[in-house]
Amino acid sequence: MHKKEMIKSNNEKRKELTEENREYYEDMLLYIRLSYSKSELDMEEVLAELLDHLLEAQSQGRTAEDVFGNDPKAYAEDIVGELPTMMTKEKFSLISIGILGFLGVSALFTGIGDLLAYIIMDQSEPTRTIHIGSSLLETGIFIPLAFFFTYVTIQYLRWSTFRKIKRSTEFIITFLFGGAMFLVYFFLILFLPEFGPELSIPLYVSVIVGIVLTISAWVLTKKS
Amino acid sequence: MSLRSQLLKGILEGCILAIISRNAVYGYELSVKLQEYGLTVSEGSIYPILLRLQKEKLIRGEMKKSPSGPNRKYYFLTEEGAQALEDFQKNWEEIKPPVDSLLRKETDHAQERNDQVE
Repeated sequence: MHKKEMIKSNNEKRKELTEENREYYEDMLLYIRLSYSKSELDMEEVLAELLDHLLEAQSQGRTAEDVFGNDPKAYAEDIVGELPTMMTKEKFSLISIGILGFLGVSALFTGIGDLLAYIIMDQSEPTRTIHIGSSLLETGIFIPLAFFFTYVTIQYLRWSTFRKIKRSTEFIITFLFGGAMFLVYFFLILFLPEFGPELSIPLYVSVIVGIVLTISAWVLTKKS
Repeated sequence: MSLRSQLLKGILEGCILAIISRNAVYGYELSVKLQEYGLTVSEGSIYPILLRLQKEKLIRGEMKKSPSGPNRKYYFLTEEGAQALEDFQKNWEEIKPPVDSLLRKETDHAQERNDQVE
């Protein structure tokens, strides 16, 4: 069975769980799915098995705690520890989707922003001048940074899965982290000197490139 | 991990291989069979073991329609698995009599000591 179908069937079946069992199972599911370096198909297969088992136990009056023990985190860690790691091909496709999507969305937003500025504020020319040297350097810094931020976010989600964190605390953490991320990008753009040969790009080209890259990233996500 | 749980894990692995060698089973079925034999391990503990046995290529899983309808993952023994089961059986038969007799003597000694005290 395909990964996508398995996720769909999992979503359907989960509705049959009692509230207590669903909470227990969904914490485990989140924790296991967030182990990003593991093979996704194997991950979904074992999640389906655990769910089927729990449903059958539930029909006989047993709870998730009876089946998986009273430490869901330790159990989820046991499962993750035994899952085979993702194959290089799978990893490579995931990383390229990330890069494509990142470049696509960046180009699209810059293009649309510039275009709006040109139309509304009547700015000089419908082109953007970029300096090849500094642009390449910026991209070279931003992509690893974006991966780093994603990594930190995933680690945070894993850490918080089995903890009851207050809404307000969660909000503050998100706010600080988002702010820090924004500041890093902002200062990089502000203080990185422009160098390298200049290149004038018509704004619509930036929009088109953005659309093409975003769509290809989306198509790749669908296929994988 | 404690010696106790390592020992039990090894034995449980052997028993799981033995059950799968008789019939292809899916997870829930396996836990029921283990219980029928009186091996009361916590139900969930079989899944990490099944994953490990798959990684070691001793068993393989296959999605199949079950008689009751839904798709289930059935486990089959591989050739390596059959070999591993044979090894386990041999080891078990070698270790069982000496351990049994040792433990029996221990209780005999304990019995004697008790008798002397009385």
